[in-house]
Amino acid sequence: MYGKGLRTLSIATVVAFAVTLSLVFFYAPIEADQGFLQKIFYLHVPLAIISLCGFIVGGIFAVLHLRRDDPRYDAYSYVSIHISVIFAVGALITGSIWAKGSWGHWWVWNEPTLVSFLIVFLLYATYYPFRYAIEDRQRQARYASVFAITAGAFVPLNFLAVRASASLVHPRVFATAEGGLPASMMLTFLCSIASMALLWTTLVKFELSAKSAQGQLKRLRRALDAPNTQATSRIAPEVS
Amino acid sequence: MLSWLFAAPSIPNDVGGKYVAGAYIVFLLLMLIYVAIMGMKLARIESGLREVAEIAEKRQGDAAVAATTRPEAPAEVKS
Repeated sequence: MYGKGLRTLSIATVVAFAVTLSLVFFYAPIEADQGFLQKIFYLHVPLAIISLCGFIVGGIFAVLHLRRDDPRYDAYSYVSIHISVIFAVGALITGSIWAKGSWGHWWVWNEPTLVSFLIVFLLYATYYPFRYAIEDRQRQARYASVFAITAGAFVPLNFLAVRASASLVHPRVFATAEGGLPASMMLTFLCSIASMALLWTTLVKFELSAKSAQGQLKRLRRALDAPNTQATSRIAPEVS
Repeated sequence: MLSWLFAAPSIPNDVGGKYVAGAYIVFLLLMLIYVAIMGMKLARIESGLREVAEIAEKRQGDAAVAATTRPEAPAEVKS
């Protein structure tokens, strides 16, 4: 069910990444200030943006789950958050590498952009133990949805708060008074965002189809066990 | 295409190039780790499916044997 269109999506993702990497290394100009190091921008920023968007998408699916009481939406919410956490790990590591090359430090604790992203990441890292600490499946799904909505609402608020705060070293590239990126860099960046979004969607679909297969297998096992149970109950003494 | 590739600037082997290569390799590794974990998960599902299929086939075989060895019902005695 979830595997439908996965092949096309995977091919589209591979093609998009090939085009993006070509643009990054052969088309986008070398930045005057940071030089070749700025190429990390086309990887780090899309990873961060898509992971934050994924957290919000997870929150939206959680709202749908609570409204419609459909377990499918809980699965969508869980998988969206799961893939976004992986992307957030990528954003943190690539950002750290960029920080080391650019500022000479792996991490700068007094920089609001970095610390706020770490807080969001840590918040979502608690999603897994929180979810799996509850044994009852329905309660687990409900509580996880409430968590996803609250944390999802925190993401844009956090983003706006960071934008409003004074930046120390982290650059503000978009919507700045200086005019932001030149056209060639902007095109490359938009391609990076599109390919990263495609990768996110492909991984979400892949994970959902794997989860669905696992669920079907469990159903099959239960169905195979069912006749045995009936047989046992048939030979059990009847109590009148 | 080839001329475009040859005209492109090569990756500089300075400090910047090292970090850029590092960042892209980290991303690739992350994806590889994810794919490896998913591969293991899929292998588990596959072995589970095989096991379930074997149980189903065994039951089908048992049912067939039981059907062939079942004693026939006694013929009705006409009075």
